[in-house]
Amino acid sequence: MRRMLGHEIYSLVIISIATAVIPLSREPYYIYLSSLFMILSIFSLSYNILFGYAGLLSFGHALFYASGAYSFAIFTISIYRDPLVGTLVSVAVSLILALLVGVLTLRHGRIYFSMLTLAFGMLLYALLLKWRSLTGGSDGISGIPRSGFIIDLYDPYARYYYIYVFFLLVVISLYIFHRSRYGLLIKSLGVNEDFVPYTGHSVFRLRILAFIISGSIAGIAGALYAILMGVVNPDLAYWTTSAEPLVATLIGGSKFFVGPIMGSLVFVVITTYASRIAEIWQLVLGLILVALILGSRGGVLEVVDRIWRARRYSGLRI
Amino acid sequence: MDLDLTPVFYQLFVGLYRASIYWLIASGLTIIFGVLRVVNFSQAVLLVLGGYMTYTFYNLTGSFWLSVAMASISIGLVGVAIERALLKPLYRVDVTYQLLMTFAVSLILNDAMKILWGKLPISVPLPSTLAVGIGIFGRTYPLYMILVIAIGFAVYIAVLMLINRTMWGLRVRATWRRPEIAESLGINTSNIYTAVFFLGCVIAGLGGGLVIAFSPVVPGLGDFLIVSAFIVTVIAGLGNLSGAYIASILIGVSESIFTLYLPEIDLLLIYLIMAISLMIRPQGIFGER
Repeated sequence: MRRMLGHEIYSLVIISIATAVIPLSREPYYIYLSSLFMILSIFSLSYNILFGYAGLLSFGHALFYASGAYSFAIFTISIYRDPLVGTLVSVAVSLILALLVGVLTLRHGRIYFSMLTLAFGMLLYALLLKWRSLTGGSDGISGIPRSGFIIDLYDPYARYYYIYVFFLLVVISLYIFHRSRYGLLIKSLGVNEDFVPYTGHSVFRLRILAFIISGSIAGIAGALYAILMGVVNPDLAYWTTSAEPLVATLIGGSKFFVGPIMGSLVFVVITTYASRIAEIWQLVLGLILVALILGSRGGVLEVVDRIWRARRYSGLRI
Repeated sequence: MDLDLTPVFYQLFVGLYRASIYWLIASGLTIIFGVLRVVNFSQAVLLVLGGYMTYTFYNLTGSFWLSVAMASISIGLVGVAIERALLKPLYRVDVTYQLLMTFAVSLILNDAMKILWGKLPISVPLPSTLAVGIGIFGRTYPLYMILVIAIGFAVYIAVLMLINRTMWGLRVRATWRRPEIAESLGINTSNIYTAVFFLGCVIAGLGGGLVIAFSPVVPGLGDFLIVSAFIVTVIAGLGNLSGAYIASILIGVSESIFTLYLPEIDLLLIYLIMAISLMIRPQGIFGER
């Protein structure tokens, strides 16, 4: 929130420079990891609009991620072969889905919302499995084109910077958004919903706004994932995928703008250096969650913030 | 035209069986939510764990019903551990963190079961006295399924009586209505919470024991069951016991009927019912608010 504002800008600048120069290493593996990091960051930033800002715990955010990835795959393969147009279509599809799901889930209490998002997420999963002619069933879709009529992402570096540009765009626009009037109003939902009507705004409409923004940005992340991997499969819509941005956000700290980004960094590092634990991946995610919920609900950044403030004696408040 | 209704009746019957399994999850969810205001995400995973435990106890004792009973109690104790160690510190925190905690528990249990019992489907043989069919109108109905349906109904009556007709039930209701006043009247609400959580988990364990004798249990089973149970409780209105029983039957039976007529979309049907029910009655069919 406000107290780390100054430092948040510094860390954002450092991250954007670091991710920009990673391809200079010419190490395909680092480039791949950095791409994963940026995609997960976008996904987690979108998640945090609901979780950290609006106080809504979604178990079905993979719905928009998967819909973005699948609509990119289907659109670029069978309608128009271009990554940029495909990405925009993914955003549009996720946005429409977010509006539909939002209208059905956001009228209720926050607990209903959590249960319903799980159900809708699994609905897409079931649909992706069943609608074989369109989605390829459990095999998913492979051979997603990377080059197109307008832009060409065949070169891995071009692909990397394509993801990078979207990463920057999302970070900058969300940074502006989270300090804007509506950003603050959405945050006030998370602080105390009952007071929001006194500002003359409808809780339901603000939630819908948050949900649409969140869903369409998750759609971008999904499309970028499809570009990076070249394949999509139904697991993208499974509830364990929804747990990833949730865990990343909790690790970093949901009350900080850079929380989801820092959390994604830690998350990607853990998953990489512990690839041996892929078999028991859910167990690890669960244990991290339990430790965070009991130990530090504000995430790593809150711990850092506390230490920092103890040192500086609140001199750095902005 | 001679319309043969036997398959329809049979599907209705299978639907009731399915409904009973949903109910054995949804009932626990409902009483736990009703009193503790916590949605126990791990309810279905605990049911699956109950199935696995029945398997292990069966290998040790050789008696089916004894294993089911032991598994139910064990699941209840697992529930007590979860409530005391993981949920209790969170009662003063925002509700989302309690939900998040039970979500984390189900992630952990899911993989723990894979490690302990492997990824292959596991089942327990039915006692030979139960593995018979009963012929009704020219079609045989498995006795065991009839029994499960009956147990489901018995659980419904038992929980209802326990909460509405006993002294302990009165304390539970007092805690549910006004925890602070119940506390001031000398009711140990903390114990009530734990006991209710225990009860809810025992029912889930019982459900697991009953399932594993009829259809094999695999680690991912809980994932779909919890979605169905959530849909049932949302349709019913959270915290409404009778509503949850009726909604379980509604969902179970209509799923089963649709498997017969529209097998292509049977997986999707339950979501369709949910969406329609939400549009018509957002607070749940039996919910007030």
